[in-house]
Amino acid sequence: MPPALEARGIVRRYGTLLANDRIDLAVAEGEIHAVMGENGAGKSTLMSILFGMQPPDAGEIRLDGRSVRLHSPADAIARGLFMVHQAFRLFAHLTVWENVVYGQEPRRLLLLDRRAARARVATLAARYGLSVDPDARLGLLPVGVRQRVEILKALHRRVRILILDEPTAVLTPPEREGLFAVMRRLASERCSVLFVTHKLDEVLAVADRVTVLRDGRVAARFATAATTPAAIVEAMTGRAPVPRPPRAALAAGRVLLDVRALTVRAPGRPRLVDEVSFTVRAGEIVGIAGVAGNGQEALVAALVGLRPPDGGRVLLDRRDVTAADVATHRDAGLAYIPEDRAAVGSAAAASIADNMAMGFHRAAPFARGIWQDRAAVRAAAAALIARHGIRAGGVDRPAGALSGGNLQKLVVARELAHGAAVLIAEQPTRGVDLGAIESIHALLAAERAAGRAVLLVSAELSEILALSDRILVMFEGRVLAELAAGTADAQHLGRLLAGQRDAAA
Amino acid sequence: MSGFVSPFLVHSAVQAITPLLLAALAGSLCAQAGVFNIALEGQILVGAFAAVAGSFHFAGAAAGVACGAAAATLFALILACGSTMLRGDAIVIGIGMNLLASGLTAYLLRQMFGVSGTFDDPRIIGLPALRIAALDRAPLAAAVFSGQTALTWLAWGVTALIGVGLFRTAPGLRLRGVGAEAGAAATLGVAVGRYRAATVLGAGALTGLAGAQLALGTISVFSEDMSAGRGWIAVVAVMLGRNNPLLAALACVLFGFADAVGLRLQSLGMASQLTDIAPYLVTLAALLLGRRPRQPA
Amino acid sequence: MRRLRPPAAVLAVTAALGLGALLVAASGADPLTAYGAIVTGALAWDTLPNTLNWAVPLVGMTLAAAVPLRGGMVNLGGDGQLVLGGLVAALVPLALPPAPGAFIIALAMLAAVFAAAAYAALAAWGEVRHGIPMLVLSLLLSYPMIGLASWLVGFPLRDHSSGLPQTVLIAASARLPELGAGIGGGALAMLLVAVLAVVADRRLVAGYALRMRGLNPRFAAYGGVRPGRQALAAMAISGGLAGLVGAILVLGAQFRFTDGALLSPGFTWSGLMAALLAGGEPAGAIAAALFFAVLQTGAFAMQRETAVPRVLAMILQAVVILLLAARHGLDRRQAGG
Repeated sequence: MPPALEARGIVRRYGTLLANDRIDLAVAEGEIHAVMGENGAGKSTLMSILFGMQPPDAGEIRLDGRSVRLHSPADAIARGLFMVHQAFRLFAHLTVWENVVYGQEPRRLLLLDRRAARARVATLAARYGLSVDPDARLGLLPVGVRQRVEILKALHRRVRILILDEPTAVLTPPEREGLFAVMRRLASERCSVLFVTHKLDEVLAVADRVTVLRDGRVAARFATAATTPAAIVEAMTGRAPVPRPPRAALAAGRVLLDVRALTVRAPGRPRLVDEVSFTVRAGEIVGIAGVAGNGQEALVAALVGLRPPDGGRVLLDRRDVTAADVATHRDAGLAYIPEDRAAVGSAAAASIADNMAMGFHRAAPFARGIWQDRAAVRAAAAALIARHGIRAGGVDRPAGALSGGNLQKLVVARELAHGAAVLIAEQPTRGVDLGAIESIHALLAAERAAGRAVLLVSAELSEILALSDRILVMFEGRVLAELAAGTADAQHLGRLLAGQRDAAA
Repeated sequence: MSGFVSPFLVHSAVQAITPLLLAALAGSLCAQAGVFNIALEGQILVGAFAAVAGSFHFAGAAAGVACGAAAATLFALILACGSTMLRGDAIVIGIGMNLLASGLTAYLLRQMFGVSGTFDDPRIIGLPALRIAALDRAPLAAAVFSGQTALTWLAWGVTALIGVGLFRTAPGLRLRGVGAEAGAAATLGVAVGRYRAATVLGAGALTGLAGAQLALGTISVFSEDMSAGRGWIAVVAVMLGRNNPLLAALACVLFGFADAVGLRLQSLGMASQLTDIAPYLVTLAALLLGRRPRQPA
Repeated sequence: MRRLRPPAAVLAVTAALGLGALLVAASGADPLTAYGAIVTGALAWDTLPNTLNWAVPLVGMTLAAAVPLRGGMVNLGGDGQLVLGGLVAALVPLALPPAPGAFIIALAMLAAVFAAAAYAALAAWGEVRHGIPMLVLSLLLSYPMIGLASWLVGFPLRDHSSGLPQTVLIAASARLPELGAGIGGGALAMLLVAVLAVVADRRLVAGYALRMRGLNPRFAAYGGVRPGRQALAAMAISGGLAGLVGAILVLGAQFRFTDGALLSPGFTWSGLMAALLAGGEPAGAIAAALFFAVLQTGAFAMQRETAVPRVLAMILQAVVILLLAARHGLDRRQAGG
């Protein structure tokens, strides 16, 4: 029997970058097939090609042995594929059932058959153990439930090949187990599941086979029953896993960031941040771990002055900045690497020089009174580009022309350039390549060594574990536990992330 | 007070609501499709001009209404193409269209009819008022229902139709998704551009009817810039209704009554310059009271 | 909104002139004659001062629109601000006791600028404090102001010796002096304002901050640009400029406030068009305003000589903007955005 989905010799170029280089992939009917690889290995490109979002430069896609050309996601869906993206494609203002049937609605005469639609959603939800209220408004649901809605969309369309792109990044461990159960159930009903991840334990737990990508090529193929974690890691990274060198213990200095009972409310919902207290001292990195959506974003927004808190106090180098605006925070010695480099951390149409000045544009050397010193701005930008090896092609080029990794380096370089006492780094390596991750991690470590206080907010446990001196676990707006770096291991943290209080004891 | 809220006031309020309502429905539909349509003002004006020209040339109110709807639809093609295929900024396009409408109608007024300012001619046939004799003994009901134009009846019929269409049919569901999350809709096979363009064109026809009511409803004249900010009030109604056409219709009722109260005050001897302000003041007050709680950035 | 590259603007203007020619031809006139009349009517030696005097308020209203636009905001309330400025400028000289003319002029202009600035800032306040979109609010605030001014000069403040709703004439000593050759004194003030605008945009910290907000408001807020304060300031400057234009027109040309006289030329909307044409960049906006001034003054001559209505100028302007909006969209599409 031919594979349900087969990709042969897929090639995709972006400029000089070869994102997919003659990739072959075969997924059998009823198989859970993992695709692994580091960031930038070519997983996303391959999936977008398989789902019809872009055509390959070369190669072919076969479904049940027949060669097909997918012109669009809609085309792919019509042929029985469905992809759950990392960023869900849902309508926040519509109800669950409206989201599920959207585009393939049951009708009665001219009207939408609402009763049939609700029943359909309820039946599917019950059959696959996806507990969700069909009439709930999607925008009010937690992330884990939204993912179930995406899967219900696939089920409603009688999916035969389900592609899940990093589906566990937003889930707590129990939710993850629930997802795995659904995947196994689907596989038992002869649906194929293509599971994109970079988490080893998940692959071993749920996948039948795994294809490992590295630098746009297939590095290895394994049957999970017949392989070892070390072999997979070696295929992913191209080298045997090396334990990280131990960090020099630094004597932490005085408290630079002091947060006391900070509270952020949201109308009609539980508190986003609920009486959170912690300190960050000079020369230490404090990591905030948590599954996305547990209040980290609101906490950071309150700490940097983008959103006034509803209660509590924030002292920045002993200065009370609780209700102050961003400018006051920055003047008091705060630098901030935002989560979204493109939407918040830069202006694509502005020049690199203009991007480099933002946040520090009010003070010397960039400002002299009310005047801006353009020469100083350009010189500083040129110096930073050179120092951090940012491939920019000149300070007058628009920032939008930079690659993701280079843009992130620009943001990091800007925030570190002025020796601010406190640095808040929010998902500092999300979606950048390995080289950029390493250099950003080195920069954060250097900040620590230079006696600055670093607050690292990250959904990547490995990042938190690698860099932090102390780790705070956030769950539903509260700090559930505080761990010293030495005492934390991934498993223990995982239970905490899921909100298991007993693990906190 | 009972003397103030007279049947006459109610009657003129219902009249005043019609063009606002048609334009606000148009704006709400566009908003649902994800197009911020601020060209309503210009579209009304084009509709009004074409309605008068049509009524004059073909010697019939119905022909005028048809011309008004057709011309405004054609005019809306600019926004339909501009905001879909050409991906222009809807606000810039809207501002441009409003000016183009103002200039073009003034130009054509001079070239076609040789007048400037106001075109008033007995050969412009207005819309007949439909009297309902059965209501003669219920003055207030008669004021609301009797003596209104067919377009007023149509406007409320269309309101109900849009309510059902948007919230109870499959294309309506798709339209509601297209505006909020175009990417998600496209992934599920909905032709976003086509939905958008069709909505903008349909909205154009509705604003054309609004213009026809304005020019042929109570009076039968065209004067330059006779839309006089009604398109903008409709934009506010869309905002107050949070893109829901039924709530926008409610806002229009409020504004229509403000308009009628202005007229009433004028008949009581107040200066027209002041009474003309009434709808805007009510609109401003409604905006202030109906504002959303401010979301922190 | 990106700064315009010259070829796109040139292309849009050329295409608009082509479409305009079709319209003129369709209404039975000769396009070349009409356009010729525009050029000679605006740029002949003896009509130049006239064109320049027309350009002064147009440039002013262009800058009034360009300042908020540079920060991604739109002020549609220029009409109301212009009227308020004109009214205040017409009333101050009447209210003041006899004093040196220069003193009265300065005071009248200042009062006009501040009154209009405060009124415009009200729209920003509504957005900042109450979340009411400034685009709509600024326009809605405009209508009551126009109505109020119209009532004031129609009744309580009316010059009953004249048949029109207008205020009493300002004494000759309190009028803006001419520079000579028929060029009004307002030209000097506007030149100064134009230079200030360009310098502020390119060299001031505040200009940088406003530009960044226009390119990405979240980025600016993240960098500590205070969005509320900036919106208030931009709208106050915008309204102040509109008020200044009102004062220049009243003190330098009309010498009284006449109902409707400030608005009938449509400076506000032409100015908005010119500012849009340049994406709010002041130097480009001024150039566009000068072009529109030529078009509009020339159109008067065209109407006199060829019977083609002068609103053709307005049509051409609108078509330029529409073509340019489409063009920007195409660029965005090619960039894959």
